[in-house]
Amino acid sequence: MQDFRNRLLIVTVILGLAFLVLGSRLWYLQVLKGDEFAKFSMENHIRVERIPAPRGRILDRYGKELVINRTSFDIYVIPKDVKDIPYLSSSLSQVLNLDSNQIEKDIKSALSKKSFKPVLITKDINRDQLAYIEARRSSLLGVIIEINNLRQYPHGVLGASFLGYIGKVNDAELQNNPNINNTDLVGKTGVEKGWESSLRGDHGYKQKVTDALGREVESNLFLADLHNKKSMPGNDVRLTIDISLQQAAEEVLGEESGAIVVVDVNSGQVLALASKPSFDPADFIKGIDSKTWANLVNDKSSPLLNRATQGLYAPGSVFKMVPSVAALNEGFINEEEHVYCPGYYKSGSSTFRCWKRGGHGRVNLRSAIVKSCDVYFYKIAEMMGINNLNKYMTAFGYGSKTDLGIEERAGVAPSREWKKKRFNKSWYKGETILSSIGQGYVSVTPLQVAMMTAAVANDGKLLKPSIIKEIVSYGGEEKFNHTPTVTSNIPVQKQMLDLVKDAMVGVVNDPGGTGRSARLQDMMVAGKTGTAQVVSLDSQSEKRKHRDHAWFTSYAPAESPEIAVTVLIEHGGKGGAVAAPIAKKILEVYKKLKEEREADDNV
Amino acid sequence: MIMFDRRLLKNFGWSLFLMTLAFCAISLLNLYSASYETGLISFKKQFIWIGVGIITLALVSFLNYRFLKQYSIYIYVFSLLLLLYVLVFGKEVSGSRSWIDIASIATIQPSELVKIAVILVLARFYDNDYQATPYGFLDLIKPIILIAIPFVLILLQPDLGTALTMLLVSGSMVLFMGVKKWSVAFILIVILGVSFYSWHYTLKPYQKDRIRTFINPSSDPLNAGYNSIQSQIAIGSGGVTGKGLRSGSQTQLRFIPAQQTDFAFSVLAEEWGFLGSIFVLLLYFTIILWMLDTSSRAKEKFSMLVCFGIAAMFFWHVVVNVGMVIGLLPVTGVPLLIFSYGGSSTLTAMIGIGIVLGIRMRKFSMSGEAIDLG
Repeated sequence: MQDFRNRLLIVTVILGLAFLVLGSRLWYLQVLKGDEFAKFSMENHIRVERIPAPRGRILDRYGKELVINRTSFDIYVIPKDVKDIPYLSSSLSQVLNLDSNQIEKDIKSALSKKSFKPVLITKDINRDQLAYIEARRSSLLGVIIEINNLRQYPHGVLGASFLGYIGKVNDAELQNNPNINNTDLVGKTGVEKGWESSLRGDHGYKQKVTDALGREVESNLFLADLHNKKSMPGNDVRLTIDISLQQAAEEVLGEESGAIVVVDVNSGQVLALASKPSFDPADFIKGIDSKTWANLVNDKSSPLLNRATQGLYAPGSVFKMVPSVAALNEGFINEEEHVYCPGYYKSGSSTFRCWKRGGHGRVNLRSAIVKSCDVYFYKIAEMMGINNLNKYMTAFGYGSKTDLGIEERAGVAPSREWKKKRFNKSWYKGETILSSIGQGYVSVTPLQVAMMTAAVANDGKLLKPSIIKEIVSYGGEEKFNHTPTVTSNIPVQKQMLDLVKDAMVGVVNDPGGTGRSARLQDMMVAGKTGTAQVVSLDSQSEKRKHRDHAWFTSYAPAESPEIAVTVLIEHGGKGGAVAAPIAKKILEVYKKLKEEREADDNV
Repeated sequence: MIMFDRRLLKNFGWSLFLMTLAFCAISLLNLYSASYETGLISFKKQFIWIGVGIITLALVSFLNYRFLKQYSIYIYVFSLLLLLYVLVFGKEVSGSRSWIDIASIATIQPSELVKIAVILVLARFYDNDYQATPYGFLDLIKPIILIAIPFVLILLQPDLGTALTMLLVSGSMVLFMGVKKWSVAFILIVILGVSFYSWHYTLKPYQKDRIRTFINPSSDPLNAGYNSIQSQIAIGSGGVTGKGLRSGSQTQLRFIPAQQTDFAFSVLAEEWGFLGSIFVLLLYFTIILWMLDTSSRAKEKFSMLVCFGIAAMFFWHVVVNVGMVIGLLPVTGVPLLIFSYGGSSTLTAMIGIGIVLGIRMRKFSMSGEAIDLG
């Protein structure tokens, strides 16, 4: 028996060691890792329910709704709560007409990561599907229905080019904004992007205690204070756009490629900003599908390009206001001086043609503008040189962005320095001559032309254009109210500008004016036509591609200017024949709308 | 048969008895918390079982162990018959035919009680055998058969956890009595062979899953690994002092699986923390030590080996159950004796303690002394 007692001693040692192992493991779990596990157990039973905040609305200047929200019911799955993934996947796929394997894959791949984070299955289910899932919630554990907000466009495609579209948030946007959820849709272009921070709501959340089956439990026993945060809808953004005028602008453009810009000459507020062809923002509501996206991107007519602010064109003769003001103000000419136009202009060994082969004969400043004589401008350009010309191009805002707040391009106001930097070549006199009629290196956006026109109309103030009139919070608090901002005061005496303005009235109203088709009976219109030559390097392009761009820029009423209207029709041909009648229609609509509003106000 | 000798009462193992009572109280308190949300049904039932168990303990302790020795074969055969009965007429609960329904009042799981019978019959075998040298394989054929029959019958139910603990307990006894080195090697090879065979041909998919997820619990957190992870979260989140009675979120919101039975220890660890769980482990440790002490004082091989066997039974239940609950061992359906809700395992534990107490009381009745044995 002594033998066995020795063995029992060994057994006791083994017993002690075994309990030491158990005790150490408990020490590790409870003492060393206790805090970590305490966090786990919180996550286990605290479910955070998101309360998504809707984006703010986008309204027109009179409060008409351009972009609003509607409720959508989205289906998410919390992978951790699913007991039987294949069963759940096949049930959901049947109701929602989705691929069962894809659902299963999505849930499983999320399992390995953060399994309590909801996985999006589909957005915006219909009422029948909603009712079906609601009725079977107990057998579909892990499925959650989230109420979300989707964009809606009561005016359809109107204004799409400046309203912009929304899309799934990308990683860079997520990193810069801690308030964005990874399932959010954010502005990708236009006002939606430019005023993203104003439009985006502040998401709220609600913490709930749930049991192991995911059921909400009343008891507050396990956590002293549950955190809740109210969701706050985004601010409403009220644009300067008059959607009725916008509609008229888009309608008159029709099937043409081009742009129309209408601005208030006294405030810089943009009343209409049309660009065609355009796209349908409704395609982007739930995140665009790759096929539609590829079609948009590969479309040769560039529907995603906002021609009014991003399209760069040679301005042609609408640019002649710049050398006119420059030469007058710098004293190179006065209104009386005449230039003889034989239909061409010789400078050194080069010959530059006037658009009118037979020539205009004797022209002074006024008749040169009215008839759009090129030779007159060749002459004064050569007299003043590129430095003087460039000074006024820059003063009128060319070569830099207007800072409208949506996508735009700066274009080119050429100078010696610019050419040196761009091409590392010196400047030629001939290039000054070409620049004076808006050809050569000069490239501008329709918006820049409109702002120049407004500056002429308002006696020399280049205003910063604005598309935002007002921003109002959900609670009604005014966050922003537009006040006119002057970008630069053009260094020109008033009587000099008056000469140019008078000439612009002549363009539309004189018997020989190039813009007569913009003439209105009961409102005096001032304007300037432009026909910009297109230098196409694309030999395969159709004949139409070689046609000139048609321009017309105008303001009215001439005696006390209110609005400026700029029209560009790509490859439209003669500005006076194609663009001027379009501007006339816009001015008519503007006048009619104004009279209607005044009539309403009087009632 | 039952001797009302004054010396018996004087030598009654009060310390073991009091430890047992303390243990019963703690287990009931724990079960109260674990079953509160489900209407205290299992708490009330366990209350009755513990009452029955204490009475049984008392009765068994006054039974002379020589009686047990004499009748060990019959007890063994009777228990085998019960196992056969269960296989044919047993009540099926979650895929296993392990239960006998007694007049719809209670259910009994004979496989738990069989452990005591196997301990007794093995002790009897070694008591008769006076071999001095370690046992060779051929010498062990008889005990191996004695172990193998109930082992296979329990496996057939199938109840892997109970079969394994029975094997561990009886294996411990055989090893304790000494086995030749080559025989140990041979038996190990046989066990490995059987394991390999059963992995490929007899284990059910859920059993394989359990072993797989034991190796990597987070591989499949929703299915087999779920239990282990939730249990470890519960234990860890208890920290040093615990969340307090009825305040464990893992328990009360039922994140802990089988929290009234196999995972009762995680409830304790969550609500009473490191201090509580270490206290209960120490209590177990002391009880087992006490049993080994009794074993070392025994004057006969039989009583020594019975005490050792019962100590081994407690030991393996603690190691396998707590090891599973704290994530050191795979999830097998092995209860923590007395602590887990369950009549049969509680009764088995009480009978075991009763036998040890009975042996302790008679430690002065030397083998040579004339004691009424009928």
